[in-house]
Amino acid sequence: MSNPSAGTPSKAKAGSSQPSEASFKRKRGVFQKDLQHMMYGFGDDANPFPETVTLVEDIVVEYVTDLAHKAQDIGSKRGKLSVEDFLYLIRKDTPKLNRCTELLSMQEELKQARKAFEVDEEKLATLE
Amino acid sequence: MKQSKDPFEAALVEQEESPPDSPVGEDELNNQAPNEAQNQTDGGQNMLVDDDDYDDIGSNSKNPSHPSSSSTPKLHFSRANANVVAAVTKKNKEYDDDEEEENVEVELSKFPSSVDPAKMAKMQTILSQFTEDQMSRYESFRRSALQKSNMRRLLVSITGSQKISLPMTIVVCGIAKMFVGELVEKARMVMTERKESGPIRPCHIREAYRQLKLEGKVPKRSVQRLFR
Repeated sequence: MSNPSAGTPSKAKAGSSQPSEASFKRKRGVFQKDLQHMMYGFGDDANPFPETVTLVEDIVVEYVTDLAHKAQDIGSKRGKLSVEDFLYLIRKDTPKLNRCTELLSMQEELKQARKAFEVDEEKLATLE
Repeated sequence: MKQSKDPFEAALVEQEESPPDSPVGEDELNNQAPNEAQNQTDGGQNMLVDDDDYDDIGSNSKNPSHPSSSSTPKLHFSRANANVVAAVTKKNKEYDDDEEEENVEVELSKFPSSVDPAKMAKMQTILSQFTEDQMSRYESFRRSALQKSNMRRLLVSITGSQKISLPMTIVVCGIAKMFVGELVEKARMVMTERKESGPIRPCHIREAYRQLKLEGKVPKRSVQRLFR
């Protein structure tokens, strides 16, 4: 059941009804809502044109697809796909690279923080 | 958790929302000229600027360490960053950029921790002077993100492998967001060159995409995409 690009993500249906590797049936409008806010944040109008958003989404999906394919090519030599492959691909693009390392370190920090938090909770539980 | 926010940043943003609205004077915004260049610069900073600002900022923001700096400086979006400036430049056509260079130097050193007090203080001063409009745009910039679940689904469908780790999803979302930023900024530049205004239209995006391809920022397909 394919519905035309509605803003509502009904990708769940698409995901379950077909194997993900074989068919590349992608619902349009997957990132629409987020992209609208993002484009506003980056300089577009508060209400960007829907055609513009759709076009940007298409471009982004194509970009991610190409990136992922290239990463896969690189990763296949090593065996499996890893984050390193993506980082290698954007190594020339310093702002992106820095941003990604920042995101990864942030994620680590948060993981540590959560772990520490849980440990504390356990301690509290055992004390009482 | 949205990847563009961490607890410290969230606290900062909340703190920023509370200070009184900045007086809507264009003079105030003169102080924000430095902003563009200062941010946790994830590397280069460029400015998305209108034509008249362009020459002013362009010379200042050509940081030595900026690798991809071409004749058209671009605005790179890191977390606490000059997207604001994009908003600023759109709102005001004139502002000084005297203090920029010193600020640029300061911000160029990479701060490992996101909770650097000096940087926070700077951001606070900048953000406290925002107009409502700017603040709302900045907030959109910070909070917006591509959904990790959607991205993961997309990656699974592309690679055919189910083993997409969380860091990978986060990284790809971040890369995609910055790519959107590049597109939108370049589209704005195209618009100013064509002297058009209003919301961005698909033709601008296409032109921006074409230019990005020429600059080599878009990965090229080794095999032609025949059946779309």
